[in-house]
Amino acid sequence: MSAATTKSIAPEAPRKSISITSLMWVNVAKDLRLEWRSRDVLNSMLFFSLLVVVIFSFAFSPTADESRKIAGGLVWTAFLFSTIMALNQSWARELKNGVLDAYRVSPAPAEALFLGKCLGNFIFVVLLECLMAPLFVLFYNLSSVGPLWQLVVIALLGTWALVVNGTFFAAMSLRTRNRELMLPLLLLPISIPAVVTMVAGTTQVLTGEGSPAVQMKFLAGFCVVFTAACFLLFETVLNAE
Amino acid sequence: MKSKIFFFFLLITLGLLAWGTYQALEVAPPEATMGDAQRIFYYHVPAATAASILFWGNFVASLWYLWKRSPVADALAVTGAEVGVVFFGVVLISGPIWARYAWGTFWVWDARLTTSLILWLLYMSYLVLRRSSEAGSTSVMAASMAILAALDMPIVYMSNRWFRTNHPQPMIGTPNLNPEMQKVLLWNMLAFTMFALMIAWFRYELERTSQKINHLHIQKTAQSTSLAMIAPVALFFFQDEKLLHEKMVQHHYMVAGYIAVWTIYIGYLLYLASKLAKLKKEEAELRA
Repeated sequence: MSAATTKSIAPEAPRKSISITSLMWVNVAKDLRLEWRSRDVLNSMLFFSLLVVVIFSFAFSPTADESRKIAGGLVWTAFLFSTIMALNQSWARELKNGVLDAYRVSPAPAEALFLGKCLGNFIFVVLLECLMAPLFVLFYNLSSVGPLWQLVVIALLGTWALVVNGTFFAAMSLRTRNRELMLPLLLLPISIPAVVTMVAGTTQVLTGEGSPAVQMKFLAGFCVVFTAACFLLFETVLNAE
Repeated sequence: MKSKIFFFFLLITLGLLAWGTYQALEVAPPEATMGDAQRIFYYHVPAATAASILFWGNFVASLWYLWKRSPVADALAVTGAEVGVVFFGVVLISGPIWARYAWGTFWVWDARLTTSLILWLLYMSYLVLRRSSEAGSTSVMAASMAILAALDMPIVYMSNRWFRTNHPQPMIGTPNLNPEMQKVLLWNMLAFTMFALMIAWFRYELERTSQKINHLHIQKTAQSTSLAMIAPVALFFFQDEKLLHEKMVQHHYMVAGYIAVWTIYIGYLLYLASKLAKLKKEEAELRA
């Protein structure tokens, strides 16, 4: 854990309750700092999705019209798998120096750690999406028929849906024998409804056939339900022995 | 005492299964267009009913486990998921066989089919998690996973209703269901639910035994049933023989369905039997 937390919850100090949000931001800052220094996650994610873009464009070589119809699926497949890469890294990092054990001993609420991790991963994936979106546009001649802001909303909600479940299941798969293999096996079945909705919504905006309002509402609902469930269950999973 | 009750239960179940199968093959009127191929219905739907009961059991047991941390709840949860996956596997195998005849294709990405497949995948991943997690933390993590899976189900259902409705085929619960057929269906539902509960009971006892062996407290819980399990196999051969010499296509589909379904049930029972044998060996070694 970072120095700031341990100092303020030292046993002698009078119990000053620290809010979950400030603890969460400490976690986010730590993750961002680590990432800034090593750039492990972002580099591998970026390179991986670049490869996916290239391979897909070889496989399909679509016209502008066709690519509008398939781009939703392509983009989200690429982002989904790069997200899984990021998630695998994010907890493995904590395992090395016994950080998780330290966290279990500390009185800081586990939920702050969970939310911090989620936000950190969310920032990484959104960054990746911002960097990759121009490439998709370039390679596939993409132009959107529908309004662009809807794409942004769908992307943000969809990314949060993936990241919140993914962070939870990555913490779970830490306890399994074949860690990195387990995460997709657990995450993909649960996220199918979110992925299907993201793809459907994106395709609707790109082709301009109908409004994706239903999809956006659905994604928002998915995010609320699973954020709440993971939030409540995380401490149990963290302390599962 | 327990084994006596189990044996009684087994006899009733086998009787009901025989009665249900007889009803499905002989008593139920042939469907106007699909003929005998429609009879797949009589074990497709009951298997789905049984599986959903078991998945509910898994959810309730998982909540109970997280609340009380009782090993009984854990054994019930694993039983519900595993036997449920087997019965749902039967649904997913027998459905396409019928669909090949009725729709001309094995699989359609129809709302109900997609939902069922995802349900099955979710509980498969639950079982995979149980298999590969570290010893101490399995039960807690599996219980959390079960709760998330159960939460996911209504969402999957809605999402398919909204976004993937290619052409929803009304498969069950149509209002023009012949009352005669409905009666047969209900008999089969009862029979297969009993069958599922019987297997679940057996699986549960196995799980409890292995839990006890894990704690080196050996008890002879699951000994009375290994022989009785062969009965369903006999039933299978007994039932199907008189149908095989008729060569109609519809019959082929029906027979194919039966063979596929009972292969799964029997395969699973054999798997349980081998597990039982292994546990018994372990028990004997520990005693020595």
